[in-house]
Amino acid sequence: MENESNITDYYKKTATFWSDMMEMMSSKSTTLSAVGPLRNLSTNLKKITNELTEANKETVEFNNFLIKYYKQLSDTWTNAQKEVASKTTKIPPNEEGTEAYKRVWIDIFENNFTGLFDSKKFSENYNNLVSTELDLLKRWNTITDVMLKSANLPTKEEIEEIYEELHILKNRIAKLELSKKQSEKNVRK
Amino acid sequence: MSENKFDPRIIGNLLNFGRSFIQAPMKASIPHDVDIGSTQFDVAYKEDKMRLLHFRPLTSRQVRTPLLISYAIINRYYIFDIDPKKSWVKNLLEQGFDVYLIDWGTPSKIDKFLGFDEYVNRYMDNCVDFICDETNVDKVSIQGYCTGGTLAAVYSSLHPERVKNLIATAPVIDGWKDTTVVSNIAKYFDVDKLVDTIGNMPPEFIYYCFSILKPFEQGVEKYIKFLDNIDDEKFVERFLKIEKWAGETPPIPGELFKQWIKGIYQDNLLIQNKMYVKNELVSLKNIDMPVFTQVAVGDHLVSPECSMPLHYAVSSTDKILKLYPTGHVGMIASSFSQKTVLPELGKWLKERS
Repeated sequence: MENESNITDYYKKTATFWSDMMEMMSSKSTTLSAVGPLRNLSTNLKKITNELTEANKETVEFNNFLIKYYKQLSDTWTNAQKEVASKTTKIPPNEEGTEAYKRVWIDIFENNFTGLFDSKKFSENYNNLVSTELDLLKRWNTITDVMLKSANLPTKEEIEEIYEELHILKNRIAKLELSKKQSEKNVRK
Repeated sequence: MSENKFDPRIIGNLLNFGRSFIQAPMKASIPHDVDIGSTQFDVAYKEDKMRLLHFRPLTSRQVRTPLLISYAIINRYYIFDIDPKKSWVKNLLEQGFDVYLIDWGTPSKIDKFLGFDEYVNRYMDNCVDFICDETNVDKVSIQGYCTGGTLAAVYSSLHPERVKNLIATAPVIDGWKDTTVVSNIAKYFDVDKLVDTIGNMPPEFIYYCFSILKPFEQGVEKYIKFLDNIDDEKFVERFLKIEKWAGETPPIPGELFKQWIKGIYQDNLLIQNKMYVKNELVSLKNIDMPVFTQVAVGDHLVSPECSMPLHYAVSSTDKILKLYPTGHVGMIASSFSQKTVLPELGKWLKERS
């Protein structure tokens, strides 16, 4: 585990070192040759590299939770199948028997999987899985934001700010409309 | 020896199943093209994405107090009018009720900040206001289904003076008592992270929750049954309508979803009378009007234990709790609901309207 973290740190440092170096080395020439969005993009290279390096670590975590998730499903499937096998040995191979087998199979699988979905271990792992997936999505959002900034477009955060402003404005208008309505009603009375 | 003989009927059944599988596309409509909803309505009022539908009357004499149905925030309102013979709204119209229904619409990213406050104190209150103005009454009866039942209960607590009668159909009330696997997922869910990263609760997550509820009965057996009944036109039509409904759910506004998961499933504030909407305490004890709580014993989406506490939490003296031997959808869109649930509701409501 410690070894794994050393390796990650090593790659992270190496990547950051070279992206810094490249940025410094190229800054003079890019300043001369490029202005505006392209210039921004080159200076933002470091941010993108950082995000990608961090994303690597999270991808490993995500994979671990995903493996555990599939293992939980496959273990439950195996156990349910074993239980079905042990309970269906005496079912005769006729039409009624097939129906009975189908019923037993569905009931046992339903019970086993509901037991799994209802367990703490499943819920914890599933939510860790979703959580790391969201972490990865956050990294992707940050990278996209860097690109958008370079292209002089509003970032996710800036768009959110607009949404929030609109929301506040709508609420204010609703309040004003309500008080207007109430005063109109009072006048009518 | 003869007991172990292979039954040729099994081969026959397999061949029949194969035939049904091949013929299915010819015998059934394309699921997404199925027409749903036949009762006529007008959009009486609209605010942002929310629409207030007013169903056209089917009788000359109408019950004085109008009925406002608060649909859930999951799936679409048309489950209340899924089929002319199993239509909840049509039945109520035929009983002489003046029926309005709230369709919450499809929230987009711009609606991320909408929460309980906007849904209850703005949209719902404006709908009630509109209906009162239109029909010259001071109060309306409100029916809430599923998560719409929760919104209706919160509204009735915050605005009891506007509610003549409350009907809560499979409402989500006591999250800690909910025995479905959804509550188990919700317990450890990092809802802040989801909302901060994605914004609204995406439909895909909701479909995931549906998929873990009875995965083999709902995910395997149901479809085998569908193919077994492929020659039964009525069965096929109804099956596709319900499937279409189950497969169409809008996103849930981020803030509302956050308040929902924290306030109902994680901290269970509503039933403890500790929930706040904006700065106002939601006390279920404020609910003093007649209350009819409808619970389905076989509900696999909202367990009866989660809905029933509403009956005991309100301060109304005129209240009734009814348990029906059906499921979440069966309670509102089935022959059973037409024969049992709706006549009982109609009788109760007429006596109080």
